[in-house]
Amino acid sequence: MANLSILIHLDYTLMIVAIGAALLGAVSGSLGTYAVLRRQSLLGDAISHAALPGIAIAFLLTGSKTPLILVLGAALAGWLGTLLILSIVRLTRIKYDSALGIVLSTFFGFGLVLHTLIQRTGNANQAGLDTFLFGQAATILESDVWTIGILGGIAIIIMLVFWKELKLLVFDEGFAASLGFPIRVLDILLTSLLVVAIVLGLQAVGAVLMSAMLVAPAVAARQWTNKLSVMMFLAACFGALAGVSGTIISSSASRIPTGPTIVLCATVVVGFSIAFALNRGLLWDWIRHQRNKQSLKVATDRLLKQPQRGSE
Amino acid sequence: MQASEAKAIEVTDLTVAYQDQPVLWDIDLDVPPSVLLAIVGPNGAGKTTLIKAILGLVRPAAGNVLIYGKPYEAQRRIVGYVPQRGSVDWDFPTNVLDVVMMGRYGALGWVRRPGKQERELAMHALEKVGMDAYTNRQISQLSGGQQQRVFLARALVQDATIYLMDEPFQGVDATTERAIVTLLQEFREKGKTVVVVHHDLQTVTDYFDWVMLLNIRRIASGPVDETFTPENLRTTYGGRVAFITK
Repeated sequence: MANLSILIHLDYTLMIVAIGAALLGAVSGSLGTYAVLRRQSLLGDAISHAALPGIAIAFLLTGSKTPLILVLGAALAGWLGTLLILSIVRLTRIKYDSALGIVLSTFFGFGLVLHTLIQRTGNANQAGLDTFLFGQAATILESDVWTIGILGGIAIIIMLVFWKELKLLVFDEGFAASLGFPIRVLDILLTSLLVVAIVLGLQAVGAVLMSAMLVAPAVAARQWTNKLSVMMFLAACFGALAGVSGTIISSSASRIPTGPTIVLCATVVVGFSIAFALNRGLLWDWIRHQRNKQSLKVATDRLLKQPQRGSE
Repeated sequence: MQASEAKAIEVTDLTVAYQDQPVLWDIDLDVPPSVLLAIVGPNGAGKTTLIKAILGLVRPAAGNVLIYGKPYEAQRRIVGYVPQRGSVDWDFPTNVLDVVMMGRYGALGWVRRPGKQERELAMHALEKVGMDAYTNRQISQLSGGQQQRVFLARALVQDATIYLMDEPFQGVDATTERAIVTLLQEFREKGKTVVVVHHDLQTVTDYFDWVMLLNIRRIASGPVDETFTPENLRTTYGGRVAFITK
């Protein structure tokens, strides 16, 4: 209760920022669950890096820094990057990891060039665009919270509506296709939802570290449960937790970038979960191992104490 | 048309290629209703690809597949599929009952969730494969044979007329092997058609009544006693297999 009242008495700006960070932590945590289960953790990294030139182009074209416009540019570029990766894999003999690397670095490099160009023009408006690199949650305004809440909410609702189809796609793609579900469409849908989660987080966490917000909460959540729905709920909670704590820590010290702080908070959750989770945690493994060793020792002792029988 | 409707599966001139490498070349195959057909051939013979092509999962370069005289898209509901056990991640966070209920997803269609009826069908199927004690078990805690029986139960709830199974006997224990054989025979008695990718040449004559010998091309297909000859096997395996006839 004491903690809660502290939160309420914090100043309005920090409240807004914390709510925004919590929302995007929850959105990226739940959608990241599928990325982790599909072993596409690196795809998130590629998308967030690929989104960068989209932000710059959106700014160059409109001259506006309205979050919605920048997010739209980021989403388009991120989506384009993803489609490019998928078509490279499908149409050429280049392997998935190489395709990821190619698209990630090309788009990111292009994004950096554009950002430098924008800074050179000395446009008074440009200040703040580089927050998209490492994130600055302090720049989150009330309107951004609405953007995150509404777009993230829509993404989560779509995911819940197609829960059964997406689960089947992720678990057994071939079987899903044999039942007549259009797996390519579902794949694009799921990836698009991932793109939404990523671009929403760019402002607060930044392109460089955004993929950690997809992966870390889901990895931590997997340690605690064997049920998909629980895993997703836990991942959302862990994401929100990391978002809020990272924001508060980074705003209390002098201008630490928020992205790294949030990611560090998420890492703490992951570390704790890997070490101490029931059944899947390292500590649990160690205890089980000791127990097995003990019972093996008892059994061999008993065997050795038996009088030797039979002849050589 | 009458003639072709009497065939459960009819494959004509089917050719499949990955990049420029042909995996299946000009395959013709007629499967009459209510037979148990084993597809046999060496590694890389295209057995899995043939099953996937029948299911429309790989796009053929040429050729045609008909299920009871109609294309697969129109007959989906009467075709059941058991993929290779190794094709999925068994560490996926879900339990046995949930996987088996996935067999009803096709009949449920979009968005509708499985309910009480699906649960009952799944329980019944699990009983049939001797897995009813494992309903709530995590799939990561199953043995290979148990995983295979879960996949069979999932196919059972599809309630299909034609079943395509990719190596159901691969690495399973004796109990599971018996359970599968019993199930296959039950299918045949009910007039269902089952196509099985099979590896163990020794059991072909015991378990199946039809066989297809495949090595990119179709070497032969037909009733086991006419088709499963040392000569055909030598052609299929390139003389590398010393096959002992009983």
